[in-house]
Amino acid sequence: MIIAFLSAVVLDSNLVWTEILQICLSCLAIASGLFFVLAGSIGVLRFPDFYTRLHAAGMTDTLGAELILIGLILQSGFTQTSLKLLMIGFFLLLTSPTATHAIAHSAHTANLKPKLGKHSFSKVQRDRS
Amino acid sequence: MLLSYVVSPTIILDVALMAILIIVAFSIVRMRSLFAIVMLQGVYSLVSAAWFVSLDAVDVAFTEAAVGAGVSTVLMLAAMLLANRKSDPVPISKQIAPLLVVLIAGLAMFYAIGDMPAYGDVNSPANTGVGMDYIERTTKEIHIPNVVTAVLASYRGYDTFGEAVVIFSAGLGVLLLLGLNGNAGRWTARPTGRQIYPPIAPSANSRLIASRDNIKLSKGSIIEKPSSVNLRKSKNNRLKDKGNN
Amino acid sequence: MHDPHVILKVISKFLVPFIALFAFYVQFHGDFGPGGGFQAGVILAAAVILYALIFGLDAAKKAFPPSWIRIGMSLGVLLYGGTGVLTWILGGDFLSYGVLAHDPTHGQHYGIIAVELGVLCSVTTVMIAIFYAFGSRQPEVNEDNW
Repeated sequence: MIIAFLSAVVLDSNLVWTEILQICLSCLAIASGLFFVLAGSIGVLRFPDFYTRLHAAGMTDTLGAELILIGLILQSGFTQTSLKLLMIGFFLLLTSPTATHAIAHSAHTANLKPKLGKHSFSKVQRDRS
Repeated sequence: MLLSYVVSPTIILDVALMAILIIVAFSIVRMRSLFAIVMLQGVYSLVSAAWFVSLDAVDVAFTEAAVGAGVSTVLMLAAMLLANRKSDPVPISKQIAPLLVVLIAGLAMFYAIGDMPAYGDVNSPANTGVGMDYIERTTKEIHIPNVVTAVLASYRGYDTFGEAVVIFSAGLGVLLLLGLNGNAGRWTARPTGRQIYPPIAPSANSRLIASRDNIKLSKGSIIEKPSSVNLRKSKNNRLKDKGNN
Repeated sequence: MHDPHVILKVISKFLVPFIALFAFYVQFHGDFGPGGGFQAGVILAAAVILYALIFGLDAAKKAFPPSWIRIGMSLGVLLYGGTGVLTWILGGDFLSYGVLAHDPTHGQHYGIIAVELGVLCSVTTVMIAIFYAFGSRQPEVNEDNW
């Protein structure tokens, strides 16, 4: 997809430089958004315990979705669609960290202990005593 | 890349979404934790809403996302809080009859697939009958861009009226059966005709209730303790029976 | 002054009016885009339900009193049926909105708006009624039974 876009940019000589910049920036934003979504999904599958998995999932929700939305806004330019996308992005920016916080908070309240490695504080303390 | 030339990307998306739907449905069947089942039902609704968007049925998708994934998840959670958190495993002997029903219904549906029109067929009954008529007449008679609203509210106004009445009677049934304050069925009548209900609906902790009832009784309250306890017991038994079924 | 849910409260206090606004957008923009009375009613009910989930049922019952539920439920169906009866009185068939104005097209517009308002009323109040009915019963199992 990116290759197709870039070849269109190179081959089409009618484009103004602002349009080239628009396409490049939106491609960059969507690609980095997809990278974060992919990284978040791998993290959800691979991370050892609840809190680290939640960290990965929260990043997918917030950073990945926001970057993709920014890319889409750049694609559509100054239109009504872009305003709607901007509002979606704004509400997503508010709600998804809140949802992540609520999940983590309720897990903490339910006494779910994070999985601690061998360098954890409690282990060090126990060894010392 | 080659695949996208052979099959249209929308078809791939549709098949992927339907595969997710099937996976979610199977995990709903296999699960025992009711909380996870309710959440998975929300996921199911959301995925099917995405599928409807992919099929260009935006109004249906909107309804599915708002009702299925939004409100009904919350309502199911609120109902689940009143029941057990886990459903009991169903014995094999009770699973055979439903399996037969599902198999027969599924086979009948597979048999019916042969008579279905192709996907997006111009000559299908949906596209040749009144559908085209509505699309043509909406621009002339009603002058609104959204044909779905025109069909729902004007051409099919009777049907929507029926739907409104159905919703009304559903609400009426809930109000009659459960009451608004959660105290239906706990009213106790006195010979004088006065009705008194407990200020707080009884909770699970029986010790708390006993102490509260004692306090009330010492104040000369007219709450009938045995009846409410019996009611709670019978309700618990009923819930257990439901779990067994 | 230690409230464990302060983030949730602040965010949802900010969001509830926007959800209600979006519901009315869906309601009145239903002629031009996807949406209509049913979806708008569900979204409006979702605003009240979110408020009830965060601030408690008693606060929600102050904001949306249960007495409105009976009124709204019947008012919605009455509005829908009343539009039909009005078209009867004006000389048309039941629910044929063309007679509501001099121009049949405008009559259709008025009729659709009235009918969608009726659906909005019914759906909102019934959804809230179901939530109140289930939500205000105390759970009979312990909270740590998850």
